[in-house]
Amino acid sequence: MAETFLTYNALGSFLVRLMQIGTLHGPTLNDLGVLSFNPVTSPDLLQLNYQRTLLPPKKYLLPPQSPILHYAPTEGYTPAKTPGDEILLFGLHPCDLAGIAYLDRVFLDDRPDPLYASRRERLVLVGISCESDEYCFCGDVGVCPTAAAVPFDLFLSRQDSGFRIRTGSRRGEEIISWAADIVGTAGAETRPAEAAETARRICHAVGKRRMFEGSTLWDDFAGRCLSCGACSLCCPTCYCVDVREYGAIDGQTGERVQEWDNCLFKAHGEIAGGINFRKTRQERFHYRFLHKYYGFGPLRDVISCVGCGRCRAVCPVGIDLLELFGEEPA
Amino acid sequence: MIETPVPAVILAMKPLAPDILFFSLQLDTGTVSSNFSFVPGQFLQISAAGAGEAPFSPVNLPGDDGVIELCIRKAGHVTAKLHTLQTGDYVHVRGPFGNGFPVKQMEGQDLFLLAGGLGIVPLHSLLSYLVMHRQRFGAITFMYGAKEPSALFLRQELQDMACTGNIKFMVTVEFAPEDETGKTSCNIGLLPDLLQGAIITAERSYAAVCGPPALYKCLVGELKTLGFKEERILLSLERRMKCGLGRCAHCAVGQDLCCIDGPVFPYSALKGIEGAL
Ligand SMILES: Cc1cc2nc3c(=O)[nH]c(=O)nc-3n(C[C@H](O)[C@H](O)[C@H](O)COP(=O)(O)OP(=O)(O)OC[C@H]3O[C@@H](n4cnc5c(N)ncnc54)[C@H](O)[C@@H]3O)c2cc1C
Ligand code: SF4
Ligand code: SF4
Ligand code: FES
Repeated sequence: MAETFLTYNALGSFLVRLMQIGTLHGPTLNDLGVLSFNPVTSPDLLQLNYQRTLLPPKKYLLPPQSPILHYAPTEGYTPAKTPGDEILLFGLHPCDLAGIAYLDRVFLDDRPDPLYASRRERLVLVGISCESDEYCFCGDVGVCPTAAAVPFDLFLSRQDSGFRIRTGSRRGEEIISWAADIVGTAGAETRPAEAAETARRICHAVGKRRMFEGSTLWDDFAGRCLSCGACSLCCPTCYCVDVREYGAIDGQTGERVQEWDNCLFKAHGEIAGGINFRKTRQERFHYRFLHKYYGFGPLRDVISCVGCGRCRAVCPVGIDLLELFGEEPA
Repeated sequence: MIETPVPAVILAMKPLAPDILFFSLQLDTGTVSSNFSFVPGQFLQISAAGAGEAPFSPVNLPGDDGVIELCIRKAGHVTAKLHTLQTGDYVHVRGPFGNGFPVKQMEGQDLFLLAGGLGIVPLHSLLSYLVMHRQRFGAITFMYGAKEPSALFLRQELQDMACTGNIKFMVTVEFAPEDETGKTSCNIGLLPDLLQGAIITAERSYAAVCGPPALYKCLVGELKTLGFKEERILLSLERRMKCGLGRCAHCAVGQDLCCIDGPVFPYSALKGIEGAL
């Protein structure tokens, strides 16, 4: 489908139209003033000039806590109910779309997970271009040969007088056709994409399999880290989960629940009897570094950092794994 | 492979040691039991309702009757619950998962099976397989080490298999009460000591090792000194398997996942990986 154009003046009507089509979610400020993806009750609550939400949209696909099996004495274990209606997720930055692309590769292609697939199926992704700040660096990670194409149903690129809209799926085309009275045809107006130096450095260092073994930064990080786990919680591609089972109060039934886990927690490398394969924080940082920049499992050798900058922005003690790449010659 | 846990009734339970119970389970569903199979070294996820699930290797080979035999040590949350169950109660089973021992690759070779403590479980199953297909393999030596004679369980079964299968069977304990030393044919010492007396043609041998992590570090060194190539030293690793399906990333060993790429790894694949052993 040809690209269309949405003027800034028509944005409000476009959002109202989306709300008529389905349930709209997007970046809004919650009661505590934290920016997060939430259901949108009124278009003017949307914060579209935002830098980043605290949690990435992975919470729609891998909720922090999610029942996977239900147990009852008569039925045994049965799969958890799959979620309901379509959600129009509006205002996703390219890095977050890349994060979803990464999760899709794991849970749709390599390790198919029916629960993930059902959650993914109900999401309509509406991307929006962004202005980078000092924390993020997504620009060029996409040029690494292993990076996946970014999925979207609609993508809005900011121009001087409005958004150029690209469609990336049939559903996206349908939505645009329902809003044909609001959008116009796209003119020649385009802004050049930004390129980020940090991303280039990462690709370069990873290409040479640099692990920075001798760096003094590891000790520095390990000395400061509080093992709070914020850096993994807010990462759009971190998907480690723990699985626990909770008996119900009736003493008969129970629920098996999948919960976000964290490789910076000491217990992550533990087995029964208290043996731990990653006792020290240094070891846990090495492990995180290996998995973020070299990948693991089905996506071995795929960089899993999409450059959103969240981990650098949230760390309470200012730890930034990317400082390691500063040791890579430009 | 069974993805959603299916019920299995406990046919029998018996204590093998103060903290270890032998379980005989019967899979419930006719369809499942007729298609259910595994190779030695693979593992099953066993659920205790309300407590959760944990990985265990079957101690024997799969029969066509849907019977599964396990030896389970009480080690924490799930295993404590399993230990409270009784004959006639149900557990639930998923699997099998993981790669298992590369039995085809091991054909025609001399084999050294080295078990420390509860590591005996998957090696008992491997030995059953080797005895069943005895003519396909060269000389077989089974070495079994434990803390003390009472911790050497399944000993009679192993001895019987060794007899029928023409297998050299050696045991060692770290210590034995004074009066027992003479009576048992037990060596006093560590597993690596047993290796020193053995006649080994390393280039046509495989070593399969299962035991506590501390054992691997010293055994690998010993085996390499004896001339074993790194890809001929097979180690079965333990991790907290949360899914068995490569999804939870809880079992990663370097860039590998223990539940998919393992739990049996040649040492060559583990060498240099921080936190592998
Ligand atoms: C391939 C393989 C084969 C094995 N074979 C055998 C074998 O044949 N025999 C044997 O005895 N052992 C075997 N083991 C070891 C066995 O898996 C462990 O001893 C077992 O996992 C211990 O489980 P546990 O829950 O009792 O221990 P714990 O150390 O208590 O494990 C606790 C786990 O439960 C979780 N947990 C805590 N609270 C809850 C809750 N409310 N609900 C659910 N989970 C919770 C924790 O997150 C933790 O992961 C094997 C291990 C592997 C990897
Ligand atoms: S590692 Fe940090 S910058 Fe990279 S995707 Fe994860 S949170 Fe974003
Ligand atoms: S956010 Fe910072 S302090 Fe918290 S675990 Fe990550 S590196 Fe450590
Ligand atoms: S046990 Fe979940 S990935 Fe291996």
